[in-house]
Amino acid sequence: MRVSPDLPHAYPFRFVETVLEPRNEDFSRGTVRVAVSANGRASAGEAWQSPLLLAEAIAQAALLLEGGDPDVGRTGFLAGIDGFQVERAPRAGEILEVRVRLSARFGAIVKFDGEVFCGSEAVARGSVLVKKGTPASAP
Amino acid sequence: MTKEEMAPRVKDLIVRRLKLEIDPASIQSDAPLFGEGLGLDSIDALELVLGLEQEFGIKVEDEEVGVKAFSSVNALCDFIEQKKTA
Repeated sequence: MRVSPDLPHAYPFRFVETVLEPRNEDFSRGTVRVAVSANGRASAGEAWQSPLLLAEAIAQAALLLEGGDPDVGRTGFLAGIDGFQVERAPRAGEILEVRVRLSARFGAIVKFDGEVFCGSEAVARGSVLVKKGTPASAP
Repeated sequence: MTKEEMAPRVKDLIVRRLKLEIDPASIQSDAPLFGEGLGLDSIDALELVLGLEQEFGIKVEDEEVGVKAFSSVNALCDFIEQKKTA
């Protein structure tokens, strides 16, 4: 386990913390740890009930594994979600593992397949599309 | 496979992969796919790249080639034919 480099995302809108398994050369896998804090704003008001937070966690995990740079700023943003399935919402106190792999790239758009696990239980899976660059450069 | 035979397959791929709610036959073969015409964007382009790879066994090497190949159904048919015979 190694402590992750930082990301431009700040709490409470940061859902990934530690790289458990760095991505390999072809980015066919990589794993990031997420602690669902009881005090975090994402847990308050059952915000984790929204599947969008799980999709955002996958996108942040992908960016973290690729190597985000807080000095440069955002190097990518969530541009789309595809085939997303959520089994249940995470609960405060749970530790999640987000497993991510890069499945396709075309120009500035990158597709990542992700799975969110709590122990051996799959909580969610699906693909996120990340646009490299800033939202201002989006078509 | 001739272009006339390939065009319906390509139109079907576009509608299916991009989950468009239109009749594939209504896509004009020479109409632009991006911007005007069907109004596809860069996210759709990635989905088409995946579709070509999975359904035709064709890889799109880079964005420049892809942008040219995706300019219309006719251009896409030409690109597939070219890759198949290469």
